[in-house]
Amino acid sequence: MATDLRISNISKIYPGCIANDNVSLQFKSGKIYALLGENGAGKSTLVKILSGVVSPDNGEVFLNEKNLKLSSPLDAKKNKIGMVFQHFNLFETLSVFENLSIDATENNKSLRVRINEILKKYNFSIDLDVPVLNLSAGQKQKVEIIRCLLRSPKVLIMDEPTSVLTEQETEELFISLKKFCDEGILIIYITHKLKEVLSLCDEVAVMRKGKVVSVSQTQNERVETLANKMVGQKLAKIKKKINISKNKDEIFKVKHLNFYSDDPFETNLVNLNFSVKKGECLGIAGISGNGQNELFQILSGEIITPDTSIIFRNKEIAKLNPKQRREYFMAFSPEDRISQAAVPELKIYENVALNNFKSSNFFEKGLVNEKKIKEHSKKILSDFSVNTDNVELKSQFLSGGNLQKLILGRELITAPELLICYNPTWGLDVGAINYIHETLIKINDQEKSTILISTDTEELLKLSDRIAVIYKGKLSKIMPSEEVTPEKLGVLMGGGSID
Amino acid sequence: MSLDISFIGILIGSIMASSVPLILAASGELITERSGVLNLGVEGMMIIGAISGFALMVITDNLFIAIVGSMLSGVIISLIFGFLTQSLLTNHVATGLALTIFGIGLSAMLGKNFVGIPGKEFPILFSSLRESIPFFGPILFGHSIVLYFAFALPFLTNYFLKKTKLGLVVRAVGDSPVSASNQGINVILVRYCCILYGGAMCGLAGAYLSLIYTPQWIENMTAGRGWIALALVVFATWSPIKVLIGALIFGGITILQLHMQAIGFRIPVQFLSALPYLMTIIVLVVISRDSRKIKLNTPTSLGRIFYREK
Repeated sequence: MATDLRISNISKIYPGCIANDNVSLQFKSGKIYALLGENGAGKSTLVKILSGVVSPDNGEVFLNEKNLKLSSPLDAKKNKIGMVFQHFNLFETLSVFENLSIDATENNKSLRVRINEILKKYNFSIDLDVPVLNLSAGQKQKVEIIRCLLRSPKVLIMDEPTSVLTEQETEELFISLKKFCDEGILIIYITHKLKEVLSLCDEVAVMRKGKVVSVSQTQNERVETLANKMVGQKLAKIKKKINISKNKDEIFKVKHLNFYSDDPFETNLVNLNFSVKKGECLGIAGISGNGQNELFQILSGEIITPDTSIIFRNKEIAKLNPKQRREYFMAFSPEDRISQAAVPELKIYENVALNNFKSSNFFEKGLVNEKKIKEHSKKILSDFSVNTDNVELKSQFLSGGNLQKLILGRELITAPELLICYNPTWGLDVGAINYIHETLIKINDQEKSTILISTDTEELLKLSDRIAVIYKGKLSKIMPSEEVTPEKLGVLMGGGSID
Repeated sequence: MSLDISFIGILIGSIMASSVPLILAASGELITERSGVLNLGVEGMMIIGAISGFALMVITDNLFIAIVGSMLSGVIISLIFGFLTQSLLTNHVATGLALTIFGIGLSAMLGKNFVGIPGKEFPILFSSLRESIPFFGPILFGHSIVLYFAFALPFLTNYFLKKTKLGLVVRAVGDSPVSASNQGINVILVRYCCILYGGAMCGLAGAYLSLIYTPQWIENMTAGRGWIALALVVFATWSPIKVLIGALIFGGITILQLHMQAIGFRIPVQFLSALPYLMTIIVLVVISRDSRKIKLNTPTSLGRIFYREK
């Protein structure tokens, strides 16, 4: 049976921000639709409205010409609208089966039979009786999808589903989605990745600042045209830089890095050895949860491991804490901007002051010299083109991109010899990503080194001189990036071998 | 020798009796915490249960009404906590502390006219078997119905959490209220129910003290047992069976150290009185070392305020 979903004049206004401005769209089953837009374009709000998580201020949703009242997630469920959120809605401490059975109406026995049928039909392999926290991100997503399929949905909404997946897992997902589509499920695919739109979807709606700016057939689009529609301006292309560091000195060297933890949420690291040359970018690829967190914390000095040797500019620094390491001109940009890199409740200039205790004269006789910090912060804001000049603004009101620029600016203004960053462009839109990539390339041009831990293979291939892959706490051999292809990385990230 | 054995039997029986209020209160609080709500008002709810149970017994002369009434009073006072934390989104810790202080004050006020009134004898079951069987008699028989209920409760709680659909929902809400809400579970309602259930069990625990264990009303008669129950839940890592073990150890060492004091052991009294606290914590820490299990049992959202996006 054909499904027809129509959104009519939806508006949703949050204090200080119009998330959806009179949005109207139409979808029909048998096709895969892309909803494309930068962060903050209003895609997520729209899908939250469709799944009943938030209610619109205005407008209506029609499914097969029936006006839907979506005032709770339950309503969406009843109307056969399934939703796979970007941040998984799973219960980490419960088993897979418990997660799936929580809203089932049938008994456990027949439910298990039905789940196994789905597993078989779509070639998913998941152990139903392990706690969800033991699963990889790709498997977790499959659990979410199974949960939707169990309710035989008419509409399946996927919110940025590939942000945590490997290349292979992404391909598998696309195959499944096409199958679902053939079976008559209407699929709405939300993303800001242009290539995915072109390779997967039939029709694409582009959103910008809460409005739908274009609806078109993907066969008429190219990456560039979509990017321009999405950003609203012409984007400069970043050149991949030439390798300049072949014969340079090693500035940073790690030997025998081992880490062992009892915590099931942490990954053990097994004998990592690597080095970084002057002016070089070393990329570390991997699916999140394979030890990157632990590695970053050890490199930044948040965790001190015994027997590890870290030589930086000919000094042993393995026993130094993050503050001491900063004094040796290391800088760090952690993955979690909100809770690790900055304090959201503090003002911009206060955040700037946080990691510059020693290097400046911000503090005199134990007192804060606000004037100096503010001048310094203003310089960062303008040097790193943060979209505000108000240093009194609380950091939580900065968008992800601007916050990341502020953090990088704070780290880089002291001209460090080595910057270690972890997913610096995670969740950012094209404009901000471009800016940050340019900045990272500039660092290398100035003979400073970077270690880029990232889950984004495209970013790694663009920026790194050499790349290694971390999988289950072990590091692959380090390869020059010109020898690396996305496919190779994908194999290694999934635990395979390429020799 | 037979005298010794029957003495040990009686001793074990009295240990069981002394651990009943801890088991009841801790099992109730365990369900509350498993849903992600940290209610520090256990002591306050127990003492309210104690005075209302005793007062109702004096007024109506009916023990059944007294017991049910004590549970109801626990429900009512925990409803205040639920309304504040779930509907008005106040901080769990501060609200729970306030509830305890409020409960102790209110009970003292209500209890003024009941001080010195003798309690009524609470019916015990199988009293003839208690006398006729040596050793096992005093352990298994001759207790109040509440004690049998209390000893069944951890197993029932375990079954409820692990095997029933509702138990699964409670655990899910405690794990991730946002996910639960997105799955269409009414998180606030589930949490209200768990809070009220916890209140009922704490009320019953209080009534056990004032109606059965020491049948009279004394101001502040719970004497910190609510706090012990709270600590038991945490140190037992939210496992009902370990709560039972912990409560028995605590009750056991409390009774034993009293006997040791009476016999006149040459150990400072202060140390003996501190012994139950120390031993309970040590034993529970030792039996729940498995960090994996702790992760799986700990309600991830414990104490965090949840509100639905609108």
